[in-house]
Amino acid sequence: MSDELIHIAGLQKSYGQHHVLHDINLSMHKGQLLGLIGPNGAGKSTLLRCLVGLVPRTSGKLSIFGHDPATHSLLIRQRACYLPGETGVYHQMTGASFLKFALGFYPNQSLERKDRLLEQFQLPLRQKVRSYSAGMKQKLALIATLAPDVDLYLLDEPDRALDASVRFYLRDELRTLKNQGKTILLSSHHLSEVETLADRLEFLLNGRFVSAERLQRARAQLHRQPRIRLRDGHAMPSGAKLIRNEPDGMMVVETNNDPMEWLQSLPHGAVGSAEVGIDRLEDLYQVLLRDEVTPHCGVDTHPTDLDAAGGDQ
Amino acid sequence: MIAGKTWREIRVTALAYILILEMLAIPVLMLWPDIYADLQRSTLFRSLGVDWIKRLGSGISQRNEEVAYLNWCAVMLFFRSTNLVGTAISVLIGTGLFAREREANTFEFLLARPISRSSLLWQKFWPCALVITAPIFIVNATAIPWSWQLELDLPKWELFLASAHAALFALAFFTLTMYVSIIVRVQAHVAAIVGAFAVIQIGLYLTQRIRPYSLFRLVDFDWYGPIMTGNTPAWQMFDPIRSQGFTTYLIAATVLLYTLSWRAIHRAEP
Repeated sequence: MSDELIHIAGLQKSYGQHHVLHDINLSMHKGQLLGLIGPNGAGKSTLLRCLVGLVPRTSGKLSIFGHDPATHSLLIRQRACYLPGETGVYHQMTGASFLKFALGFYPNQSLERKDRLLEQFQLPLRQKVRSYSAGMKQKLALIATLAPDVDLYLLDEPDRALDASVRFYLRDELRTLKNQGKTILLSSHHLSEVETLADRLEFLLNGRFVSAERLQRARAQLHRQPRIRLRDGHAMPSGAKLIRNEPDGMMVVETNNDPMEWLQSLPHGAVGSAEVGIDRLEDLYQVLLRDEVTPHCGVDTHPTDLDAAGGDQ
Repeated sequence: MIAGKTWREIRVTALAYILILEMLAIPVLMLWPDIYADLQRSTLFRSLGVDWIKRLGSGISQRNEEVAYLNWCAVMLFFRSTNLVGTAISVLIGTGLFAREREANTFEFLLARPISRSSLLWQKFWPCALVITAPIFIVNATAIPWSWQLELDLPKWELFLASAHAALFALAFFTLTMYVSIIVRVQAHVAAIVGAFAVIQIGLYLTQRIRPYSLFRLVDFDWYGPIMTGNTPAWQMFDPIRSQGFTTYLIAATVLLYTLSWRAIHRAEP
């Protein structure tokens, strides 16, 4: 029996003339954690809403746990927890009463996980939610989403408004969930954290998944973009153009030819330090954002082709 | 879960609603002897060409205090209090039912719970329906012991029938507001739309020749008066073929608007 939890084929979603999702194809299996990456307005939230049956698709096939969200949304929601991108909590309730209300819909809960989250998040549960900060509201919504013991978690920017320490804790908690065999579809803007956590990444740009060919081209382009630090008094050498200056004083440049050859051709002492071939997700994302996109394929975050190479010259 | 939450949100409004209705009812009932005496002295109202005033005047001029009192109660308890306050409370409770959830970003949270949209609608509807209709029966029932203080009797069955009609009108208005609250995203816009509709209906009612086209014609004195005095039996309230059957119209309107709401909630997007 297949352990495929999510199957999407040719999914399209439009609002009138505005096309939000184009020809989305995706397959997720039990125990996977998939990171969904894309800029604002790329269609990430719409995709998650389609999956949980909150918005109807325009065309294409969609199956979660073998059910179509258009006709069996309730069956899906009984086995999946969805955290919306916009934090929705009742301000007139106390934190405790909100949790009681939100968790009351789920017969199976992990009390251990709930207690652990409550202990970590340190929320003033007796206070009204209206007195909470944005981060505290997000923590409350997270407990309400992660405490139910379901098979699938659909999280739309769960780290929104959270500080770094809480984000790191959330990352650990999601890793624990994954190790327990839970399936997680995670949309986030914190690329480095998604990269360390996810089994697989999908880039969603302008409503389309980025194709394998496009990713390969972007990687190739990225490999021609070494980070260098010029010594004082040295001008930008020829054979490369400046892409951007980084906060740490390094410059990202794009070379016309092989970056190693270009570096070796430079006058001795011109470059203080250089990094070549480091395949950082942030950089890849920047390259993808600059270009047009074509249809689908994902990227495995732990494969051999993502190995980094480089160092000081 | 949702019904309990809805109840907790409207329970204070429900209490205020009962108190307002009761506070409007008590002076109407307890001051009746003075009012009756004033009306007997006055000749002005007998010359006014308005049906309900003629009926009230008829009871007074025939020295039949009980008939005059029943007509007075029909005017003040139902035509004035329940129509006015019932409509206001329906709009007050109904506007925020779904639009406020949208404004607070909790609509998506609710839709994502493992509960059907039909159930979500029903669990929001019935506590509100109860809060809007039950006080009408309760407060009008208290008119009976208050009337005993004046040594006058209010007929229980007729009072119940009139209360049922008034409650159905308020319920139909609430269901209309709930429907608008589902299809319109901003609570203030819902209030403006339903409020404008009510004002237009009142405007139509107050204009003599076009009065029959106003919804308030379904709940005016000419309907409540005969019910209270026993001249419109229950079958006539519900039979729109051989009689006017206004009560059936209200039931049909409520069912239709609930069906539209059901359709709208199933199509609603966060």
